[in-house]
Amino acid sequence: MSATPRPPDASRWTWLPAWARPLEHERRGLGSLRLAESTILILLGVFLAVATVNDLVVLRVNENHRLRADLHTWRTVTGHDYVNISTEQDIKGYTTRDVVCGNVSPGAPGSRNQICLIVTGPVRGGERAVEGGYYLPAYRSNLKTERFWCFGSATTDELCGSASAPPGSQRIALKGERR
Amino acid sequence: MSARGRAGRWTLLAGALAVVLLAATAEIVLDGAIGHSPLIPKSPQIAGWLSGVGERLGFRVFLIALLAYTAAFAGMLALAQRISVRFAIALTAVLQLIVFVGPVLLSTDVFSYIAYARMGVEHGINPYLHGPDAIVGDPVYRYVGTDWTKVATAYGPLYTLLSYPLAPLGVVGALWGMKLEALLASAGTLALTWRCARMRGLDQRFALIAVGVNPLWVIYGLGGAHNDLIMTLLIMAAVALTLSSERGDAREAFAGGAVIGATLIKATGIVLLPFILLSRRRLAPLLGAVAVAVAVALIAYAVFGVHGVDIISALNRDSAFVSIDGFPTEIAHLFGKPGVFPVDHDLLKAALVLIVLHLLWRTWRGYDWVAASSWTLLAIAVTSTWVLAWYLLWSLPLAAVSRDRRLLVAVFAVQGLFIVHQLAPLLEPVS
Repeated sequence: MSATPRPPDASRWTWLPAWARPLEHERRGLGSLRLAESTILILLGVFLAVATVNDLVVLRVNENHRLRADLHTWRTVTGHDYVNISTEQDIKGYTTRDVVCGNVSPGAPGSRNQICLIVTGPVRGGERAVEGGYYLPAYRSNLKTERFWCFGSATTDELCGSASAPPGSQRIALKGERR
Repeated sequence: MSARGRAGRWTLLAGALAVVLLAATAEIVLDGAIGHSPLIPKSPQIAGWLSGVGERLGFRVFLIALLAYTAAFAGMLALAQRISVRFAIALTAVLQLIVFVGPVLLSTDVFSYIAYARMGVEHGINPYLHGPDAIVGDPVYRYVGTDWTKVATAYGPLYTLLSYPLAPLGVVGALWGMKLEALLASAGTLALTWRCARMRGLDQRFALIAVGVNPLWVIYGLGGAHNDLIMTLLIMAAVALTLSSERGDAREAFAGGAVIGATLIKATGIVLLPFILLSRRRLAPLLGAVAVAVAVALIAYAVFGVHGVDIISALNRDSAFVSIDGFPTEIAHLFGKPGVFPVDHDLLKAALVLIVLHLLWRTWRGYDWVAASSWTLLAIAVTSTWVLAWYLLWSLPLAAVSRDRRLLVAVFAVQGLFIVHQLAPLLEPVS
């Protein structure tokens, strides 16, 4: 063990018990303290790792549950049993609001006009509530300038721009829709 | 194998790792430049000239690039003592520049900074009293994050004053100004980290890589042009001044002033002051701190009124926020709770107080004050219910120049867990 250097004014602290006196450099030989600290740090690290992995799995499972409900909701509401449906989750904002889009008629993904439903809230009976939606032209991105025929919350949130529906576009009948 | 052959092999490996780092960064920046991504905030087209190459940035591509970057970063750290100084500096600089020329990544915060500046300069509205929704008609308003439109600024008055000259430049001009500020702050922090590592007899290349190539530093911190980098610059200035000063030297006072400067950017900077005072046991750092605090407080009071100097109320407000990435939230989920309850906030504060008291005692006994400051900043981030990637950068440069290597391992471990928590979208997709 090396000798512990003392600050020049060490005499000022002689009224303190030896363990509490200031040192210029930390005393070597505090092995037990370092060992205790390291043990606590390792335990804490393991605990945080378990919490993180648990959260990751739980979070993912919950999202999967939600996504399945979104797809089921879209199929039920539109009456189309299509496989290729896209879902955009609000993961950044941590809300339960998802936008689910799919073709209005059979065809390759995105090759027809799309109907997008805004679904929200908890999963009940394998489905979630539809609060609104809009249509998109074929082969177009989901941008405000492209959307048309907003309904429900999409209208109040002004999600549609001034785009008009492409010629020949048809609305599809939605289950539970008030006309 | 001869020594020359081994050196050649390490150089080759370092080159391969550098290619991965550059490719992953370029992938994120080029794909992000297209916009229309959940990872890219709504923003003016500042990187449109890059948008012809990539594809729209999705979670999967981003996370794979982030994982590849992180793995290459770990490898580069392991090789840090085998690469040349020139290679380390060039790699760090190129990574920073790639992110600088690209779009704003992963956060809308920079638009809040601009909004607060424009509120004060263009509209005569005190950003310490009102949120950006006071300037709904301003062109920056549409870019401010929806969670923050009603929230008055929580940043220190020095930062708000620094941002004011950028306000008249318009949204795009101010955005480039903020990005440049972040780049310069990053470069300054890295230069000071290098200097401090040299003063402490540590390997400068390792310290530089640990900070300047760190994925959270490059992608999240610099990518989002976060003002946390300005705080770390002043923190490292305080460290460099303290380490280079003799007893009674004016640099001790400047160090105290730099700590207060950091605090007046973001309040957590104050953490360093008690550890410097305990370590040096001189009045000079305290006098420097008081002088800067009084000077800035007077200016802040003149410009913003009493609310501009009331950092405590902003801290109290922000400490009540809860983020999904916070460790307290993860622990709550582990115990089957839906989230963090008020009593948990009290328990976390109590835990933080105990940690700080222990570190103060250790510093009094001679423990490295730089490490103690870094542990405290790390403890604040881990016990905070509102954790963002850039909060995990506060302790990083200090850890890179500390004498306690457990600290750097702990910082990397916490950062690693944060990255792991981001990987949810990579897990099995639904059918």
